Amino acid sequence: MASLLILSPLVLLAALGAVWMARPVHAALLLALALALNAVLYLAMGADFIGLVQFAVYVGAVAVLIVFSLLITRQSDETEEIARRPKALVPGLLCTLPVLAVLLITASKVPAASDEAPALPLKKLGEILFTTHAPAVLAVAVLLTAVLIGAALFARETKPNDP
Amino acid sequence: MSKDNIPLWSPEHLPLLPQRLVEMILANLGAPEWLVSISGFMVAASTVLAVFMTAFALLSLIERKTLARAQNRIGPNRAGWFGILQPVADGIKMLTKEDIVPARAVKLLHLLAPILIVLPAILALGVIPYGREWTPVPLELGLLFFFAVGSMTELSVFMAGWASGSKFPMLGAMRAISQMVSYELPLIITALGVVMVSGTLSLPEIVQQQGGGFWHWNVCTPWGIVAGLLFYVCTIAEANRCPFDLPEGESEIVAGHMTEYSGFKYALFFMGEYLGLFAIAGLFVTLFLGGWQAPLPGLGLVPTWLWFFGKLALVIFSYLWIRATFPRLRIDQLMRFAWLCMIPMALLTLPAAAIWHYMGRGPLSWMVVLPLVLVPWVLVAVIFNKRLAPATRTYRFADG
Amino acid sequence: MNPLALLLTLSSVMFALGLLAVLTRRNAILILVGIELMLNAANINFIAFWRYGPPDLEMAGPIFVLFSIAIAAAEAAVGLAIILMVFRLRRTTDLNQLDSLHG
Repeated sequence: MASLLILSPLVLLAALGAVWMARPVHAALLLALALALNAVLYLAMGADFIGLVQFAVYVGAVAVLIVFSLLITRQSDETEEIARRPKALVPGLLCTLPVLAVLLITASKVPAASDEAPALPLKKLGEILFTTHAPAVLAVAVLLTAVLIGAALFARETKPNDP
Repeated sequence: MSKDNIPLWSPEHLPLLPQRLVEMILANLGAPEWLVSISGFMVAASTVLAVFMTAFALLSLIERKTLARAQNRIGPNRAGWFGILQPVADGIKMLTKEDIVPARAVKLLHLLAPILIVLPAILALGVIPYGREWTPVPLELGLLFFFAVGSMTELSVFMAGWASGSKFPMLGAMRAISQMVSYELPLIITALGVVMVSGTLSLPEIVQQQGGGFWHWNVCTPWGIVAGLLFYVCTIAEANRCPFDLPEGESEIVAGHMTEYSGFKYALFFMGEYLGLFAIAGLFVTLFLGGWQAPLPGLGLVPTWLWFFGKLALVIFSYLWIRATFPRLRIDQLMRFAWLCMIPMALLTLPAAAIWHYMGRGPLSWMVVLPLVLVPWVLVAVIFNKRLAPATRTYRFADG
Repeated sequence: MNPLALLLTLSSVMFALGLLAVLTRRNAILILVGIELMLNAANINFIAFWRYGPPDLEMAGPIFVLFSIAIAAAEAAVGLAIILMVFRLRRTTDLNQLDSLHG
């Protein structure tokens, strides 16, 4: 509980930075920090496997991809400064605040929690994953293969008009 | 096994000696239990760190000596006998140099990057089983932990390149990231084969299962030799060593992401690189070369951690040899090799490992699994050589 | 405060932050950052209910998060590939300038 109380504000601060920072690279690095802290949060909750997978996939792959595409699409320093749309802030908040209010009201209505820590036995997780959820695993496998091939095709197609 | 009936002075338990001495002294002084375990843990971590710091200092000398030998030079021989004090001299030089931060650098990230390069390497060293009794942190998810912290390196390399606010670090970081991402895929996929066969993510357990002579090591199975070779190539690429040292190819982009670093921060990069090299080579030894297992049964007298470090030294020597022998690749060759050769081959080892797992060890499974990995291997090699090799280079100005 | 409510509050605020990023950012890649934040907020809920909610013997929460992480990775890869294609064609990732279908 204490670790959750310490970690939650940190996660939120990092996420706030990711949303608010004007320079895209700063925002992306803060996103990486938020995701890493999120992984620590999972570890603190006892979901070791999920926390480590979160770290490997989000910090190791997704954040790196985002940062890398920021680099590729960077044109000059001045385009970095217009990452935000000041005019959109008011309508954005108008849309966001009701959603936040609804979510918070729902969150405050949950019954008191049971504090018996469930175990996350890896063997059993694997068994359930590859028996009960085998069709879903296959679907995800097909999806990932499609993404791999698709990304490779995207990368190939632009070769002729390389400046 | 209780702690009391382990002989304190046996060679097998020698690396644990400092930890257990500290624990004993503190317990006799009547310290509370949490203090005893925490200090014991700190001492155990320092033991590992001390061992690898010494190895790092030695390796920096041995590398220069080996390269010198391969290039028919003498190498460092001024500081001490055989140049043995050279690492000390290098260290003093690094520490007394001015710490330069470029004017356009992002100060905080520029400072954080070298620290975040060393940190994952040290964390990764913590989960490797060095001996039968010597695993600093025996995690159940050790392998996953290794890859999770290892993936942090990419981000710190990016931070180093971007925060320097200069062209060469930027280019070097982009090269480094694309290389690490591309070679991490086959690295993890081939390691997955080992996980499938041994059915666990715990590194001590994986080593335990390879006991009983070198023919039980994973590298001596038909899928394992393919996976092991791929893994070996990937370890070289992940450690940014020649022939995959484009990110810091000094003749092309100065020193890559480390260009704008000097003094202690540069030393940290250097250290992180070598510690990372030890970690990934140690993982290769653990997964494929039987970790601390003796090569032949009946060698029980030799402490097991000696076997581990012997194998580690051999693997690292092979890196040095390769560095002295091979020319550097071009970036397009590097990426093409990763995506068109390494990854398909790595994916093929997975079904091979599955079949091996279900058929068990024996001549029949050799006959089934070996062609499964060998035929595509030869095919890919032939195709790769004929179709995908770069077109014959024409020398526009030098011909005739 | 009970831990489940704390975590749900955390994930609500994180979701709202992600939504705000999607609505107010101009750079397409930074909109993807917002989407990642929202996905993570949902994942926190799954783990929180698995840990503090009613007993979950089938481990539905962690398994759902595993799928969600796999799909989020795929989504990021495809999204960034599309953004890079657009960038190659139009030399910008600013969504305000990608208005050729604007009529």
